[in-house]
Amino acid sequence: MTAIDPMLETPRRVLRNSGAAWRRLFDSPLNVALSLLVLAAAAMAVPPLFKWAVLDAAFLPATPQTCQAHAGACWSFIVAKHSQILFGIYPLDERWRPAIVCVGLIGLLIYSVRPSSWRRGLLVAWLVMMVAAQVLMGGGIFGLTPVSTALWGGLPVTLILTVVAIGGGFPLAILLALARRSELPALRVLSTIFIETMRGLPLLSILFIASIMLPLLLPAALVPDKLVRALIALLLFAAAYMAEVVRGGLQAIPRGQYEAAAALGLGYWRTQQKVVLPQALNVSIPALTSTIIVMIKNTSLVLVVGLFDLISSGKSALADPTWRSPAIETYIFISAIYFVLCFGFGRFAESFERRNKVSR
Amino acid sequence: MVEQSSASMAVAIEGVHKWYGDYHALRGVDLAVAPGERIVICGPSGSGKSTLIRCINQLEHHEQGVITVNGAVSRNEPKAARAVRREVGMVFQSFNLFPHLTVLENCMLGPMWVNRTPRAVAAETAMGLLERVRIPDQAHKYPGQLSGGQQQRVAIARALCMNPKVMLFDEPTSALDPEMVKEVLETMLRLAEDGTTMLVVTHEMGFARQAADRVIFMDQGQVLETAPPAEFFGAPRHPRTQAFLGQLIR
Repeated sequence: MTAIDPMLETPRRVLRNSGAAWRRLFDSPLNVALSLLVLAAAAMAVPPLFKWAVLDAAFLPATPQTCQAHAGACWSFIVAKHSQILFGIYPLDERWRPAIVCVGLIGLLIYSVRPSSWRRGLLVAWLVMMVAAQVLMGGGIFGLTPVSTALWGGLPVTLILTVVAIGGGFPLAILLALARRSELPALRVLSTIFIETMRGLPLLSILFIASIMLPLLLPAALVPDKLVRALIALLLFAAAYMAEVVRGGLQAIPRGQYEAAAALGLGYWRTQQKVVLPQALNVSIPALTSTIIVMIKNTSLVLVVGLFDLISSGKSALADPTWRSPAIETYIFISAIYFVLCFGFGRFAESFERRNKVSR
Repeated sequence: MVEQSSASMAVAIEGVHKWYGDYHALRGVDLAVAPGERIVICGPSGSGKSTLIRCINQLEHHEQGVITVNGAVSRNEPKAARAVRREVGMVFQSFNLFPHLTVLENCMLGPMWVNRTPRAVAAETAMGLLERVRIPDQAHKYPGQLSGGQQQRVAIARALCMNPKVMLFDEPTSALDPEMVKEVLETMLRLAEDGTTMLVVTHEMGFARQAADRVIFMDQGQVLETAPPAEFFGAPRHPRTQAFLGQLIR
């Protein structure tokens, strides 16, 4: 047998498989009925949706009049208000600052996906990015006009909340999981109490405690900024959930692995770092992915304590009386942003998992 | 006198007791192993042979008695245990290779993160030892892609990479298919010929005859008999040794 040229082989195989898939849709009376049912449903739903979203939709010029002249979706509103939806009530003339922060955060996220970029420098890059985000958004130095966090809003807030809650929560989760399995009773008890408390309370109540109760309990000078309080609350909450997922992975590691590491003379931390965690985290990827995606979406709950994330800035954009408040279009736009974030993360986790499986 | 003699020994075990709850697993074991000596420990299951060699590098902790390795006391304290483990290599029944690392990386982990050997040097040493166990061509595979016999030979190379003064083998061939036992035993025989100090818990009496300087018979947590292999197999003194050897099909 001569080797088959993969360039030729691949498309033919795809075609053959897709042909088989089509045949399978109609290979029994039940499948025929189900397929027809689905086709009928699609025939009923897709044309009106397409008519609304594209054919009858209002695009340009981005004015209320364009929308009044069209029966379909009012995308003009999104075009006109995208800056307010994306950046909330951040001062108009300064919106280039959150824009740079968003581009920087998203760029760094995409860069971080490549395994070849995982070295110590990346951690430094993230720390620099977070400081830069604070400086750019907050201003007050380098001649930048100070902008209070009360005016921050939209996508940069959602991105910052997500990155800090998950980026900071993950290392904490690993420490909590290790502490809960520790041989030291004090560590074990403290970690268990923390995790169970966080999991036992709704995120909403934790956010309320952080934003309303804390200022009552602490002297004013010690109370951190409202955004920071919400960040800490989200971080701790995410850490507690991720800790339990990581602990599940830790339990999958056989005793022999610890013994082999000990017999080589590795200490506790090296054993965890080089032997146990790489295996435990790999086992936890699917569950961890779900937890992290839930946490990305949980960041939208900060609106209850008066922070303007994407959804609340979208809502405030809708309040403009000159438009006939196209809420569906606005929420579709915001949902699309969330979908890209969450789906993108899901794909990243899947490729990461596949890569680790290949290497086995 | 006692101090001096135990310091010159590769391994000195004196009056060691070990309990698992109420169960008295080791009942006053004494054993001195000279540098370069090859010891085979045999006995029925539950006799405490594995427990004994696992106490040497503190994978189990003994409650009474003293164990020293090259004069350093092996005790249940992280620093002391790690110091001893640096000198003692161990091979397990179930290999316990790190599945997420390649064969070569398995062998480099200890030198790099315990002894702070530079990566290039660790890789060179590891390749040398993989050649010694005759699987250098598998260096970049993962343990899961190897046969049991190959995995156990990697485990031997991994232990040797730390340049140990003493090698412990805890039933190294018990988890292997019969046709793979030979390749592992041959590797161990070559080690024995090179003068490595070895303590081997095994049921492979052929290995004991060929490689051991002394064979030790343990039962119910005690050493009942110690003798050179010719004497041990030819004229066992203790009735329980006789009974044990009588049960073996040879």
